[in-house]
Amino acid sequence: MPDNPFQDPLRFERRVPECAMVIFGASGDLTKRKLVPALFRLAYDRRLSAGFAVVGISRTPMSDDQFREKMKEAVQSFSEDTEFDANVWAAFAQGLFYVPGDIADPGLYQRLAAKLAEIEQSRHTGGNVLFYLSTQPSQYGQAALGLGSAGLGKGNGWRRLVVEKPFGHDLASAQALSNELHQVFEESDVYRIDHYLGKETVQNILAFRFGNGIFEPLWNRRYVNHVQITAAESIGVEGRGAYYQEAGALADMIQNHLLQVMATIAMEPSASFQATSVRDERSKLLRSIRHMKPDEIRCNAVPGQYGPARIGGEDVPGFRQEKGVNLDSQTDTYAAVTFFVENWRWAGVPFYLRSGKRLPKRVTEIAIQFNPAPLSIFDGEGTAPNLLIVRIQPEEGISLKFLSKRPGTGMQLRPVSMDFNYGSSFGERSPSAYETLILDAIIGDATLYTRQDMVEASWMVVEPIQKVWRETKYDFPNYAAGTWGPKEADEMLARRGHVWRKP
Amino acid sequence: MSATLAPERILKEMAEIWGQFAKQPDGDAGAGVLRSCSMNLVVIAQEGEDAMSLGETIAALMPEHPARTIVIWPRRNEQLSARVTAQCWMPFGQRRQICCEQIEITAPEGSMPDVASVISPISAPDLPLVVWCRSRPSVESAGCSDLFRMAEKLIVDTADWPDPQASIQRLAALAGGGLVLGDLSWTRLTRWREMFSQLFENRNYAARLPEISRVRVTYGGRNRTVAARYMGAWLGNALETADVRVEVSLEQDAKAPAGHFSAVELGGGGFRVELARQGELLVTTVDGLSQCNSLPAATDYLLMREELGIMRRDEIFERALASAARL
Repeated sequence: MPDNPFQDPLRFERRVPECAMVIFGASGDLTKRKLVPALFRLAYDRRLSAGFAVVGISRTPMSDDQFREKMKEAVQSFSEDTEFDANVWAAFAQGLFYVPGDIADPGLYQRLAAKLAEIEQSRHTGGNVLFYLSTQPSQYGQAALGLGSAGLGKGNGWRRLVVEKPFGHDLASAQALSNELHQVFEESDVYRIDHYLGKETVQNILAFRFGNGIFEPLWNRRYVNHVQITAAESIGVEGRGAYYQEAGALADMIQNHLLQVMATIAMEPSASFQATSVRDERSKLLRSIRHMKPDEIRCNAVPGQYGPARIGGEDVPGFRQEKGVNLDSQTDTYAAVTFFVENWRWAGVPFYLRSGKRLPKRVTEIAIQFNPAPLSIFDGEGTAPNLLIVRIQPEEGISLKFLSKRPGTGMQLRPVSMDFNYGSSFGERSPSAYETLILDAIIGDATLYTRQDMVEASWMVVEPIQKVWRETKYDFPNYAAGTWGPKEADEMLARRGHVWRKP
Repeated sequence: MSATLAPERILKEMAEIWGQFAKQPDGDAGAGVLRSCSMNLVVIAQEGEDAMSLGETIAALMPEHPARTIVIWPRRNEQLSARVTAQCWMPFGQRRQICCEQIEITAPEGSMPDVASVISPISAPDLPLVVWCRSRPSVESAGCSDLFRMAEKLIVDTADWPDPQASIQRLAALAGGGLVLGDLSWTRLTRWREMFSQLFENRNYAARLPEISRVRVTYGGRNRTVAARYMGAWLGNALETADVRVEVSLEQDAKAPAGHFSAVELGGGGFRVELARQGELLVTTVDGLSQCNSLPAATDYLLMREELGIMRRDEIFERALASAARL
C-alpha cells in the first residue's frame, strides 16, 4: 500500500484505516453505555474513516433502522460530555447495521459474512474487520470458532478480535480460552481489553516515568520504601450480586486492573514505545512477582466482605443481603495483597494492592512512599515521608508531598503538597478509555492491551491466593460498609511498620 | 499613569496579585487558586479592535494553553502604560480556580521598540514565547522585528492582508530567516486537508492516486486568496511526494463569497474526488458517492488553539508556503 501523501502528523490525529466493527452482544449494557457512545464521540471528532460501519449482533430480532434508533437513544442517554449533533449522527447512523442471531447458530456467521461483503463493497472498508466480543465470557470461544468456521477469521483486509475481561477464572481456563481464540486468530490479532490501561492517567505514568529524567534514578529499592495501589468503590454490587459472587475483588480487580497498573509503575524502561517492547517489559514485571506459598499468603493477603451499616442516614445492606447473593457467601468484596517483585530494582519493596466495594469513597490511586531522610536534624520534626501520589480517578493528577519550613521564627516543618492536576493543567477533554482503546485496536496498536503471557503471569500470582481463600472459612462480614476494610488488612501493613493511606 | 514601562513595577504588581489571592479566605473547600503557565503569549492587537472579543478569545485559550499573556494595544493618542490582571476560571467539577497572568500594555504610535525592550524581563522564564500579530501593519512596524527575534513562534493571519502574493512573499522571507511561523489562513485548511488524508487512507483510493492529473481549486472574490494558493500548493506538493505530477489551477467562482474557496477537485482518468463547501457542510464526493461532514466556522479561538499546540517547524506548511509563492 502506498504511503498516504496527504498525511500531516503534526496536525492530524493518528491515521485510522477504514474498517467495519462487529459487536457481539449489541443489545447489552456495555454496547449501550460505553461502546456506541465512544464510537459516536470518535465520529464526532472525525477520528473514524468515512466508510466506518458497525454491525450489531444479538439474539433480539431488530431491523437496521430499529437498531439505529436504539443506539441513538443510547448515545443521547450515555454520552457524558458530547453534544448530540444531529448531522454527525445522521452520517454515523448510515453505517450502523444489525444482524440478529444466536452465537451458537452457524447460520448467523453465514449471514454476517454476507453482510460484511456487502459493507465492504458499499462502504469501501477494504475488508478490515474488528470483532468485539461483548457477550457472556462463556461465549467467547464459541463466537471465535463460529467466525473461523465461516471463514471470517481471514479476509481481504486485517481481522482483529477484541475480548473483554474476565480472561478465564483461573490459569487453566485462561489458557483454554486462549487456545480456542488461537484456533482462528493469531495472538497478535487478539486484543484483550483492560479499560484501566486506556485511562489517560495510567498512560501518563509512562510519560511521567520515561519522559522525565529526574524520577527514574529514585525509582528503585534504594529510595522507595513501599508502594500502595488502591482501587476503592463506594458502591456495592449494584444488582450484579450473582455475577460478583462468582468473581470477587481479587479476580475482578487485582488479577487484571491493579496488577496491570502495578506492572506499569514498576516495569523497566522499554527500548522504544512500540507495542511489543512496552508489553514485553510489562510482562517481564508480572513474571517477576513472587508466587507465594500458602503460609506466606496467610500473612500477605487479606480477604474481606462488607456487612450492613448506616451511612449518611441511609441503611446500606451487607453483601449477603444483596439480591442474588447467598446468605453464607464467602466471596471477597475486599482484597488486600502484599506483592514482592523479585528483581534487582525492587527486591524487598512491598507493593500493597487493595480493592474493595462499599469503601468510604470512590478513588483509585498509586502512592509511592520514599524512604525518610537518613538523619533528621530538626529536633523530632521532619518525620513525614515523601510521597508521590498518582491519582487515577477522580481528579486525575500527580502530587508530591514534602516538608517545608513553616513561616515565622523558629524552624518548624510541615508537610506541603505540590499538585499537578491533569484536568486543570490541560483544559482539553480527555478521551474515555473506550475511545482510546477502540481506536488503538482499529489502528493496530496493542500497547495498552493485555497479552496472553501477561494474563497467565497474573493468574500464576493470584491463583494460589484464590486457592488458600477458597480452602479457608472466613468469619464474614469483617468490615462495615463505608469503612476502609477489615482490621486484618491494617495489621498486614503494621507488621512492616506501614499504614494504609486514607486517600 | 506613567509614560514609561518599568519591568520591576509590572513584576511587583504580578507578585501582589498572587499575594492577594493567598490572603483571600479559602472557600468552602479551602482550595484557593492554582497558578498555571505553560508559555508566554504576546498578542499585538489591531488598532481599534474590539477589546472584549479579543479578551474572550484569549480567555477561551487559557484552559488549554495557560500562558502569561501580554496584550499590546496600539493606541495612537494615549500614553505608554501597563496594567496587570489575572485571568481565572473554575474548571467544571473542580473546587479550585485556575489563574493566569495578563499584562495589557497601551502602546502609542512609535513606541513599539520601547515595548519590545520590556517583553523579555516581564516574560515568564524558561517558557516559550509566542507572538500573535493580529494585523499586517504590526508585522511591518518598527520594534516588532526585535520581538520576533525573541519569539519561538510568530502567528499571523494573512486572510486580511491586502495583497495575497505580497503576503506570501513576506511570510516566505520571515520563514527564510529561521522563524517558526503559523498562518491562520493555513490553519483554516486543516479540516479540508484532513478530509483528503482520511479519504486516501482507503487502499482502493490510494491505489488510484497515479490516475490524478489535475487539481482545481475554485475560490470566491477577485483575488486568488492566500488560502486558495496554499491549498493548490499543498495538494501539488503532496501528490509530488507520491510521484504524481499534476497541473494545479485556481479558478474563480462567481457565486462563492469573496475570500473563501468553494471547492477542491482532484481528477484524471476515470477518477474524481471533490470536496465542496455547502453552507456549514463539507461535502465529499468520490466517484459519485457523496458524504457530508459538518464544517464549523473556524473561529480565532479554534485556529489559535491548533497553532499554540505546535511549537516546532511545520515543514509541510513551509513547503506549501514556498510553492504558493510560485503559483
